[in-house]
Amino acid sequence: MSTDPEPTRAEPAAPESISSPGSPGAPGSPAAPALSRSATILAIAGALALLVLAVAETAQALIAPGRAPSDADWIAAATDVRAGFRAGDLIVAAPVWADPLARRYLGDLMTVDMDARMDDARYGRVWEVSQRGERAPEAHGATTARHRFGALTVRLVERPPAVVTYDFLAHWKDARVTRWESVERVSLPCPWQGDRFGCPRGGTVRRELVEVDTRIRGALLAPPPGGAGPGPVPILAIEFPEVTLGRELVVTAGLHDVWARKYGRGTVNVEVWLGDRPVTSATIGNRSGWHPIRIDTSARDGQTAPVRVQISSPEPALRNLAFAAEARR
Amino acid sequence: MRSPSLSSLRSGLLDRLVAVALVVGTIAWLLGTEGREGFGRDEAQYMRAGERYWGWFEEIGRDLSAGHLSEAFTAATIDRYWSDNAPDHPVVMKTLYGLSWRAFHRCTCLGPARGLHPIPVRGRHVTIPLFARDSTAFRFPAILMAGLLAWLVFWFSRQLVPRAAAAAAAVMTIAQPHYFFHAPIACFDAPITTMAFAVGYAYWKSLRSARWGLACGVVFGLALGVKHNAWLMPFFLAVHYLWMRRGDLRRRVVTRVPLAFVSMAVMGPIVFFLHWPWLWHHPIDRTRSYLRRHLEHEHYNFEYLGRNWNLPPTDFDLKVLRTTFPFVSTALTVPVTTLGLAVVGAFALASRKRRAARPEQTDRLAPSGPEPRLSGESDRDANVLIGGAAALDPGARPSWLRPGADVDRAPGAFVAAQTFGPLAVLAIPSTPIFGGVKHFMPAMPYLAVAAGVGLAAVAGRLTAVLRARRVSAAAPAGALLAIVACVPAVVETRRSHPDGLSHYNMLAGGFAGGATLGMNRQFWAYCVLPMLDWVNGHAPQNRRMYWHDVLGDALSMYKREGRLDMSVGDTGFGEPGVERSEMGLIVHEKHWALYEKFIWDHYGHARPSLVRTREGVPLVVGYERTVPR
Repeated sequence: MSTDPEPTRAEPAAPESISSPGSPGAPGSPAAPALSRSATILAIAGALALLVLAVAETAQALIAPGRAPSDADWIAAATDVRAGFRAGDLIVAAPVWADPLARRYLGDLMTVDMDARMDDARYGRVWEVSQRGERAPEAHGATTARHRFGALTVRLVERPPAVVTYDFLAHWKDARVTRWESVERVSLPCPWQGDRFGCPRGGTVRRELVEVDTRIRGALLAPPPGGAGPGPVPILAIEFPEVTLGRELVVTAGLHDVWARKYGRGTVNVEVWLGDRPVTSATIGNRSGWHPIRIDTSARDGQTAPVRVQISSPEPALRNLAFAAEARR
Repeated sequence: MRSPSLSSLRSGLLDRLVAVALVVGTIAWLLGTEGREGFGRDEAQYMRAGERYWGWFEEIGRDLSAGHLSEAFTAATIDRYWSDNAPDHPVVMKTLYGLSWRAFHRCTCLGPARGLHPIPVRGRHVTIPLFARDSTAFRFPAILMAGLLAWLVFWFSRQLVPRAAAAAAAVMTIAQPHYFFHAPIACFDAPITTMAFAVGYAYWKSLRSARWGLACGVVFGLALGVKHNAWLMPFFLAVHYLWMRRGDLRRRVVTRVPLAFVSMAVMGPIVFFLHWPWLWHHPIDRTRSYLRRHLEHEHYNFEYLGRNWNLPPTDFDLKVLRTTFPFVSTALTVPVTTLGLAVVGAFALASRKRRAARPEQTDRLAPSGPEPRLSGESDRDANVLIGGAAALDPGARPSWLRPGADVDRAPGAFVAAQTFGPLAVLAIPSTPIFGGVKHFMPAMPYLAVAAGVGLAAVAGRLTAVLRARRVSAAAPAGALLAIVACVPAVVETRRSHPDGLSHYNMLAGGFAGGATLGMNRQFWAYCVLPMLDWVNGHAPQNRRMYWHDVLGDALSMYKREGRLDMSVGDTGFGEPGVERSEMGLIVHEKHWALYEKFIWDHYGHARPSLVRTREGVPLVVGYERTVPR
């Protein structure tokens, strides 16, 4: 490169400069120095690289907006889904950020229960409305139909669904809720209070939509109770007395409310009891997300047993534990 | 053949023309596009504050007329006006916004929106009605600051590279989607970017000019009055200064504190204090509260690589990931051609040939030659600045007044320090990242300067080859390549507007790619502007409207400009606001899922009535309580 800010000027180059080999010492001078072959190749390659990059970026900027799905694409895709949809099907968007658009066009089928599902195991048929070649994690199985509508692809995926033998959310009012006072070693019943279970010394259990890991879920909101002082912490116990077991029991838990996750620090211990013994536990914290706890119950498939979820925390402030659970076959 | 002096004059004139064209082009581009950009949370507050500050000047006029001018300077009067948006931010730009509004708006102030002004409207304003919208009048100073940045970048670059590459550097500064989003709005992030560059430029000049050493302090004081980013500027300059004078260390000579730093230390606080009436009666307490406001600033929510960040990470893996934030964000937001050229430029700067005296040899030199001027330097001056050592006079001596006179000024180190300084600060895991690119935007003009150097390197080599082969197109090759380099940046920026915050570059895959990568989609809720017609069309439900993250100040401004019906209501914040509403908006940021849950809870469905998108990516969702058909 010339050291001269203006290549057409008849001025000498600076003796110390941002320079490149092969640049003319005096631009505009009649005697331009000869350049080596490698310098020539490098110079041309550099200019070509710039040209190619600039053309590619410009083209991408001009073309990309046209690759977005149009309203017509969404309407056509929604019509296709609606034509084949059956009760119990799941509809998902890929990538997941397109979910509001899927709900915009298929909101009559995408109920709050579907959108706030615990997971996708119970769904045998999944309608995936995708774009840009993306795939939804829920859409695993055999593709039985695929149709393209402009920039959108509708894919129907089928797989054997999990048979839910017991839905804890659906039966949540059957639960027996108690607060175990670890110091006094007494169990205090938490009676039904119209829309929730409430414990006399604090602690509630109620069903509601929660926000865990910035996704909306249907769950039982059961924050760990606070104790009166130092020492063993109280335990909130939610017992479902007659759970029809399948081959697997899945309890999925997480912490509700982005602000509580921001300002709260402690972890929550979630312990699952099957019958009269604990079978597993998990520690739920700010980074846990919507954390599945899986218990193999194949040995007791078809049997009925009480299942208890025990919740406690040494630092219960702002720990809005939420969980959902299913027994499955 | 022309004489060198005539050539030099012609060259200087061309430079001035190019500089003016860059300024005019920048201002015209921004004025032509700003109206599509809605009002963000902060901007609406600054507009309100600016208008209120104007009220103080009105008060001065009234008190002067009434013969008791001192009344305007009492603590109570000052606080009545200047407590607005204090201690959050100093007032250079907000005052300019208020003055610009007062001077240039088209007054409909006695109409139905009269009550929406933050100060009483006592009568019809006599103005120079340049702008149809109040907001454009408020924004005009920010737009001028962007024009000033283009001017400064051109003249600084011009000292390093040929005219075409310098002009390209200025264009590549403005044509960055995230910068362009911030450039026209009545906030501080683009203006402080200009001021950071101005301080850097003044410092650079001060290395060989005592006058600029003095001026540097004043410019720094004004920067302090724009935004607190200015606190960091001396550190970045000091890094360069120590590098530039590293020969002193080798010779075990104490490096003198240069005039520029002394001036910044003295003039900076003085200008800062004088510019902000809120400080005048309680300088210590209020300066302390201002400092604490920012040293203890809360961490808002921000999405980065699929995670919602709202606190400094404590786990090691997250600290590492957090450290990558400014670098990855830069790599995914700056136009790729600009980035590529900046990399080439960095190599060019790093491998700069040193064919003259080395710094350690220069302490024997006599005083240097004539100092460069602020603008329109002669080409000879420009050459002097390119080389650094080229300007060294054999008799130059170290001097705190002109500490760069006897050494090479190390432009590579200067550009590197100004680029990586702001990035490095935002890489510290404990610093908040909620502003995204805007928090380290002062680095971007220097990145563009590096791109200009890279362009000059590529163009210089090509020109040399063409000249060697006696190709007639050699002369305009540099200009053509400059156009080639600028086109993608301009096209990309044009594509991004008005949603520059949601925009990501070719490496990321545009709007959609950024969303898929889990990069922040937006903040400030500026994005509802295209939804106002939908809101207006839903009377009477819109009397009970949940506006989510849109502040009342923004709603007032939309109403003042006739973009929002006066009857549209606002049910307030959070779940109670949703509960009271008949329709509502949810602005898409990762952490706002909680508020969408409130909508689902209280409306009983999850079906939006309207989704505002950019290239298919949802930005805002509109709901009605009654399930839409």
